[in-house]
Amino acid sequence: MTISTESIDGDITRILLDGRMDIEGAAAIDLRMNVLAGSAKFLLIDLRNVSFIGSMGLRSIVIPAEAVRRRGGKTVLFGPVPLVEKVLKTSNIDQVIPVFHELDTALASLR
Amino acid sequence: MTTSETGLLSKGSALPQMPTEEQPDLLVLDSRLAELSRAQSWSESLEDRLGLDENTRYAIRLCLEESLANVVLHGYRNEPGHPIVIRRWLSSDTLYFAVEDKAPPFTPVDAPPLAATSEPGNIESLTPGGNGIRLLRQFAGSLAYENLPEGNRLTIGFSLQPS
Repeated sequence: MTISTESIDGDITRILLDGRMDIEGAAAIDLRMNVLAGSAKFLLIDLRNVSFIGSMGLRSIVIPAEAVRRRGGKTVLFGPVPLVEKVLKTSNIDQVIPVFHELDTALASLR
Repeated sequence: MTTSETGLLSKGSALPQMPTEEQPDLLVLDSRLAELSRAQSWSESLEDRLGLDENTRYAIRLCLEESLANVVLHGYRNEPGHPIVIRRWLSSDTLYFAVEDKAPPFTPVDAPPLAATSEPGNIESLTPGGNGIRLLRQFAGSLAYENLPEGNRLTIGFSLQPS
């Protein structure tokens, strides 16, 4: 599991995740995710290259999103593959952290 | 504790023998999260032999992760040194995994349904790490829980019929 970031106009931090967000993958990114959530105003979590997510991977998204929300910010999810999106929907995550498949729409929702 | 694995590949035969309920494949894990990857590799070897599709593979990976993590984190309270036994077998186009532990009784299949546990609308309504049972229900073809004289058994079935 790898994690990288890029800054986008509008105080947006794009987090690019790559790999399996299973227990092992979640452990590999948790610290970095929490550090990013501690300073970012708007988070776009790019899931296009995430092939798997389980409940521990969901935790790696929900906890930083909650930290950002508490500071008045917002988080959106971008580009999950169908099976990952099914997990997001089963867990109701998609109802509190919006999911987008078009980058422009995702960015617009943060601005 | 020691761990063991037995496969049922017949020595010298061209076709591998598939595990049955009477002669299941067996894997013994220690109660540590680090052991989960060994269970996944073990499962993948059979998935490859069976040529399973992506959806079924995803469901098996997810259900094994959720059920085993539940045993380690909640059943054994993250304490290593306890056994988790997984049996797998094929029966009538269904692949079964039975996860057995010696932890205090817990009945995940009786946990409240999704609607009763979550009121979506804000992030705080979500319980991080509490989604395992919902995911098991959604992705498993069948779920059966048994209270054993010493422990629990969760049997998860996956239909191998093309949908």
